[in-house]
Amino acid sequence: MSVIEQVQQVSNAPILWILCGITVVISAVQAVLYMRQCSKITREAGIDPHIPKEAFRVGFISAIGPALGVFIVMVGLMASIGGPMAWLRLSIIGAAATELSAANIGAEACGVALGSEQYTLICLAVSWFAMALNGAGWLLFTGVATPSLETLRNKVSGGDMKWLVVLSGACSLGIFGYLNSGEILKGVGNTIAVLAGAISMVILVKTVCKKFPRLMEYSLGIAMIIGMIFSVGYDQLFR
Amino acid sequence: MNEKDIMKEWKRDSIIIGTPTNILAALTAFIPVIWLCTTYDCWPPVTTVLTAWGMVAASFGAFYFVEPVSYYAALGLSGTYLSFLSGNIGNMRVPCAALALDVTDSTPGTIQAEVVSTMAICGSIITNLIGTTSAVIIGSAVLAVLPEFIVSGLTQYASSAIFGATFGNFAIKYPKVAVFALAIPVALKLFTPLAAAWVIVITVFGTLLIARVFYKKGMLA
Repeated sequence: MSVIEQVQQVSNAPILWILCGITVVISAVQAVLYMRQCSKITREAGIDPHIPKEAFRVGFISAIGPALGVFIVMVGLMASIGGPMAWLRLSIIGAAATELSAANIGAEACGVALGSEQYTLICLAVSWFAMALNGAGWLLFTGVATPSLETLRNKVSGGDMKWLVVLSGACSLGIFGYLNSGEILKGVGNTIAVLAGAISMVILVKTVCKKFPRLMEYSLGIAMIIGMIFSVGYDQLFR
Repeated sequence: MNEKDIMKEWKRDSIIIGTPTNILAALTAFIPVIWLCTTYDCWPPVTTVLTAWGMVAASFGAFYFVEPVSYYAALGLSGTYLSFLSGNIGNMRVPCAALALDVTDSTPGTIQAEVVSTMAICGSIITNLIGTTSAVIIGSAVLAVLPEFIVSGLTQYASSAIFGATFGNFAIKYPKVAVFALAIPVALKLFTPLAAAWVIVITVFGTLLIARVFYKKGMLA
């Protein structure tokens, strides 16, 4: 058996599904625990029980679009780092690009190329260590420091509830300004997706959703599809 | 119980759930590689692992701190634990939480907003887990029959469109601030050699500062 075949076989070993599944299950369990906490607080605070259900549905539906993107990326990642690892890495923190670069860095640290004949099980182990160590950075920092972030937010808001609302909006605008700047600088196709997504969202929220409030739940998904149609259309027509 | 006590209880419970689960997941993520090394006796030299660790930390290390701080105002306490365990923060968690706040007409900072954004993020996590798990089972078969333009649309443009749509939704509320939020990172990326982590920090805090000035002058209703 060649080295490549051995690495392929080991990274798709059936028992790995269970070993990787442990962490995937922890993520699911955490979500369930928070949902239980929500229903308890909803009762205590006298919030309309309809509201959290509605919120869950909005999250569930709006995530379908981006999850389809993850779905496709994952099929690609399965080919390069094996099924179980791709499943683990894309179910928790770390996008496909992050994981692929961590896996590549592992190979580089061994002085070989990912998936080559020199990429032995030892190199595979270095790649897996690199991915786990990288993910642990975010998990440990948030695990330990999140309460301090709450304190920080309260300090910055200074107890001014109106300013807190503006602050949340401004932070989100900053983050998405940053994310969009990256997309815009990628090229015309991505710029069209950003613009079409933004404009259709504004139109949806300002006009259509005012008339049909039920549609608000689907606004993000609709805007995403419109953005994609314009970019793919551009690609088909002009490239 | 009054709102203040409920908020206190909410924060306490959120930390009790979030801290152990996130730290535990950081550890359990090592189980596969430990199995690999013990089963096949292929432990790599410690120096090689440290080299690789140094290289990933050089590429991503700044984000471990910058992202949780920058996203915090949008995600809240429980949302931060959930989002940094489950990932896909910019393209899934924040857009879903923000939209749910709009749909339910909840004001950030209230207990209702905490519950709403948490439930929306939980809903999106379930969707994501269904997505990755079904990719395992039927992924290759589905990909084989999908036309090329749908695949390229979803992989290249879905995130761009989601980012644009979410930005657009916030821009409706604060159009003046939005101009700066987009102009700052574009200018920084075009005209300075700054690393990505610095661009995020300067963009978020620059936008915050500008919003503060507008707010103080009463320009944001």
